[in-house]
Amino acid sequence: MSGNIQTQVLAITEQRLNPASALEFVSDPAFGGQCQFVGRVRHFNHGRDVLGISYDIYAALAKNMFDEICREAEKKWGPKIKLYVGHASGRLAIGDLAVVVAAGTPHRDEAFQACRYVIEAVKHRAPIWKQEHFVDGDSQWSQGCTLCASESPVQSVELQPHLHAH
Amino acid sequence: MMEIELKLFGAFREFEPSGSVRLIVPSDADVAALRQALDHYAQQNWGAAYKPGLLKVSAFSNDAELLRDHSRVADQKGLALLPPVSGG
Repeated sequence: MSGNIQTQVLAITEQRLNPASALEFVSDPAFGGQCQFVGRVRHFNHGRDVLGISYDIYAALAKNMFDEICREAEKKWGPKIKLYVGHASGRLAIGDLAVVVAAGTPHRDEAFQACRYVIEAVKHRAPIWKQEHFVDGDSQWSQGCTLCASESPVQSVELQPHLHAH
Repeated sequence: MMEIELKLFGAFREFEPSGSVRLIVPSDADVAALRQALDHYAQQNWGAAYKPGLLKVSAFSNDAELLRDHSRVADQKGLALLPPVSGG
């Protein structure tokens, strides 16, 4: 992986995501724009009170997928770009950080676009599964995006509003 | 014939406490054949909680990339079943 891209899957029992470190990674004296997305566990979903979320991740494949997505963003908005993707795995509590994406570029527009592209692609393509734990004791795997809709192993995600609830 | 180990994730992981399932498939099996073999195994071993519809919309991969229906199963490292994803 090139030195301008860093991707991680972190088991929450071992290490927490660190947005400040992500921003530091995408910093560069030539960059005037940074954009960061931070996803946290919220306490309410589909009309039900949530206690926490367990993230199941195929770590080796996920890291490959993060790298691939970042390379796509680099092609679109680089080569002057730095990108960071980190996702937590394991049982997270309300407010815990689930995902951090950061982009650094010379100007703000590419940073915004690259950050949005990467987080949307991660949500649609990375091998990550979310199980919500509800206050009433029930747990449920979230419905997600199928990876087998196409024979093509790589589907690009165009920049557009995210239409799903997840 | 050969024995393969298939990693399970998300909702499928709950059917096998070990997080994987071992299946016997023809030596020249492709992903489509593996899907059929898994469906057969699941119908017999996973009970009423098994939903064939979820398998139909699930993908297969190795530890580096997604596999296509005609991809050969033999010699794949980290073969896995991937239900619809929901990260972030």
